[in-house]
Amino acid sequence: MKKVLSILLAVLMICSCVAALASCKKKDETVTDSQQIKNKGYFVCGITVFEPMNYFNGDGDLIGFDTEFAEAVAKELGLSAKFQVINWSSKYNELNSGAIDCIWNGFTFGNENDGVSRTQYVDFSYSYLNNSQCVVTRAADAAIYTSAASFAGKKGAAEGGSAGESVAQELSTDYTAVTAQANALTELKSGAVDFIVIDVLMANALVGKGDYADLAINTAVEPEAEVYAIGFRKGSDFTAEVNAAIKKLSENGTLATIAAKYDLGNALIANIGQ
Amino acid sequence: MNFSQINLLLLSGFGKTCSLFFLTLIFALPLGLVVMFGLICPFKPLRWLTRTVVWIIRGTPLMLQLFVVFYVPGMLFHTNLFVGTSGRFQAALVAFVINYSCYFAEIYRGGVESIPRGQYEAAQVLGLSRVETFFRVVLMQVVKRILAPMSNEVITLVKDTSLARVIAVAEIFYINEVRILSKAIIWPLFYIGVFFLLFVGALTLLFNYAEKKLSYYKL
Repeated sequence: MKKVLSILLAVLMICSCVAALASCKKKDETVTDSQQIKNKGYFVCGITVFEPMNYFNGDGDLIGFDTEFAEAVAKELGLSAKFQVINWSSKYNELNSGAIDCIWNGFTFGNENDGVSRTQYVDFSYSYLNNSQCVVTRAADAAIYTSAASFAGKKGAAEGGSAGESVAQELSTDYTAVTAQANALTELKSGAVDFIVIDVLMANALVGKGDYADLAINTAVEPEAEVYAIGFRKGSDFTAEVNAAIKKLSENGTLATIAAKYDLGNALIANIGQ
Repeated sequence: MNFSQINLLLLSGFGKTCSLFFLTLIFALPLGLVVMFGLICPFKPLRWLTRTVVWIIRGTPLMLQLFVVFYVPGMLFHTNLFVGTSGRFQAALVAFVINYSCYFAEIYRGGVESIPRGQYEAAQVLGLSRVETFFRVVLMQVVKRILAPMSNEVITLVKDTSLARVIAVAEIFYINEVRILSKAIIWPLFYIGVFFLLFVGALTLLFNYAEKKLSYYKL
């Protein structure tokens, strides 16, 4: 009897703890996302380190097209932009928990690799850069890969949750999801995998030079073209404000200047928001 | 990237690792004592509640707890508890403190229960209250007895700190992966190993010293 009573009381205590937690939920829903961001005075962009969008220069400063783009938009809105390196596969958790305010890192407008449209998870801004996925192999093996079929059975890698992941999946069933695109390059260079799928804008900036001189872009496979956009929380009113700022920066040529700096002039979409 | 740049980056990461380690210890050691009181509490409902909590915390991966602490409050209540640049670190600290205090509590409990009944009776005869008995007679002997299992747990904690990378805390492995490994530089991994070896080596010496100092009843 005593034992039953004590178990009952324990259960009651657990229940009351849960109830106390749940009662915290009654929160002021009138504060919109945009107001919350303005109260903070800054917005946090979730990024992965990836040239030429967001990367560290020799002095350890964060630079890149998306870095400067976000800073320009922030200036336009009277805010400041902060950058947080995240695990790309946790991006929606980061966004929905409020740890970051937007996914701004060469984020592909399109579908997840399970075919679910990303618009189910986020609200997209205007798209601003043209991109496509591209396959990279070691330069020494380049001759082996002459068609999409030649990748069958080879080991591939792509960033988990990225657009490249679905391409890698189609090429070969034997592929690994890594936490960032830059890690895919390391996998390939170290010989852990035979091919990787990354953004063509990144490949153009890195492959075949410097640390990655022994890698080469494969032209046998040409995946579909895609575009980059910024992802915001579903239903956020901040999206429209950023869109207005982007339109203005596109009109007054600021975006073109930044794009030219990172050799992305050809990829930039003209007259955004028209 | 040259050697000194890599060194600076790794040191900044190791600083985060160390502060996570020390802060976890500072908070978890006393909190473990509190949890232990719950575990040995004569009031049964509280005892069952504490046992359930310890079961949940010890029974689920620390990685899951990190995710829950950092992401779940923001998702459910739309207000992130851990904002700002140090938010991730605080979230990791909370998860680590909760996790480790449960392990510590069980070690403490083992220590307390190993003290013979006769000592409590003797203390009672001498007119000591229960609180006095615990803090003046039992606790010091417990410290002595649990030193070896505690050193185990503390050393595990040093290496567990690297789990904080799953919520993007800038500890040494995270810094290495994001800033260095992503540039296809491999050797810092071994260098990091040296950091940990030295740190754990120092801790081992410290525990050996403490054990020697506390072995005053041995002949």
